[in-house]
Amino acid sequence: MLLAILFWLLRAPNLCNVGTAWLMGLFMDLAMGGIFGQYALAYTVTTFFAVVYQRRLALFSRTQQLFYVFSLLLLSQLILLILKAFTGAEFIGWHYFIPSLSGVMLWQIATTLGLNTGRRSHGN
Amino acid sequence: MMRGIHQNFDRQSAPAFFVRGPSPFARLTFFTALSLALMATDSRLQYLDNVRQNLMSLLQPLQTIANIPSEVYQSTDTYFSTHHFLLAENKRLKEQALAQNVKLQKLKSLSLENENLRQLLHAQQSLAESSTLAEIDYIGRDAFSKKIIVNRGTNHQIVTGAAAVDATGVIGQVTRTYSNSSEVTLITDKSLAIPVQVERNGLRAIAFGHGRDNTLDLPYLPANVDIDVGDRLVTSDIDGIYPAGLAVADVVEMKTSPDSLFARIVCKPSAGIENYRQILLVSIPKPAAETAPASDKGADQKLPSPIEKAITGAAKPDMPTNAAASPTAATAEAARAQH
Repeated sequence: MLLAILFWLLRAPNLCNVGTAWLMGLFMDLAMGGIFGQYALAYTVTTFFAVVYQRRLALFSRTQQLFYVFSLLLLSQLILLILKAFTGAEFIGWHYFIPSLSGVMLWQIATTLGLNTGRRSHGN
Repeated sequence: MMRGIHQNFDRQSAPAFFVRGPSPFARLTFFTALSLALMATDSRLQYLDNVRQNLMSLLQPLQTIANIPSEVYQSTDTYFSTHHFLLAENKRLKEQALAQNVKLQKLKSLSLENENLRQLLHAQQSLAESSTLAEIDYIGRDAFSKKIIVNRGTNHQIVTGAAAVDATGVIGQVTRTYSNSSEVTLITDKSLAIPVQVERNGLRAIAFGHGRDNTLDLPYLPANVDIDVGDRLVTSDIDGIYPAGLAVADVVEMKTSPDSLFARIVCKPSAGIENYRQILLVSIPKPAAETAPASDKGADQKLPSPIEKAITGAAKPDMPTNAAASPTAATAEAARAQH
């Protein structure tokens, strides 16, 4: 979900912004059945960082972009973790962060499939 | 957002200085404040339940669409399941049905006998529970809570607080109902507590979900409690939510340490919590809170939510402790159970 938002954010920032991410986060909250606003907050903060560095990101190499996306995904998971900790959950182990890794792999697949992730490519 | 549509789709070729609207930082502040406010409202007040219900019915078609690929996979899988496999399964099921028929006949005579005995004792008739078969739609992805969503809701007379069971035991409890789906919190969830009884000696206790792995804890029991590895825990019917005698868990670990007053007891749920697709939602019809307000069953009936149950469970740990501390009481109960 977040990956799709990030993709559109970098690809077409005039169609997708922090507000869109917030709305999507709200839908995630709904689907998860947790307290309203957790995913919304995490997505908002993450997309904020994506938007702020969006123009610089366009100049990054593919590997740099990959690392940046990875850290964004990690950030959102970290925020969720903190929020959950506030509501009394325990840390469930390091495998909690695995989705970030798989997300970044998906990103890699998307870029190799030729989806333009906002990066200035030679053909454009 | 809409202002940007007339712009070139790829903003790299047309730097969009003017279409950005409020600065990202302003948006961040605004939406963060909004989410924090939502969280506070949702966790402390009850205003958002209706909103959640309505939005959920909006979201339902989306989720159905999202589930289509897995359903298609499953249906093709069943379609191509071999003749041999089906024959074997048919044979197995026939044998099972035979065995169960024999048991059922016994059950009939036993329930008749039970009825007679109850009449002799002038006891209350135990209530017949209503049950609905439901299928698991999807499993909550949240790593912190153990929840599943099933495809029956308020339209099918499912009420919050109904017990969810499968062929081998208790799975959990319905904690939220939407119009066409409902959310079942598994007994392994941290916030769910379930009153249990040790089958061997009738000792009462409250089992709490562990949350992290698929185990249950029996906290607040003294170190000298009469529980062994291998003991089976069944529902005790004290809460008026779960019918009595359903298997809940087996004790797999029992540890006492000299520096703790309490025993550390770990149990493994007997139901195939993560195995089956079909589950049964059982709701005991609200008895008799009006007709027999004095009965202790009616008193416990008012605690449908797991959190409330957890609170009461934590608040009166002396209940199981007392039962355990006096071995005579426990043996007396066991003796009564045998007769």
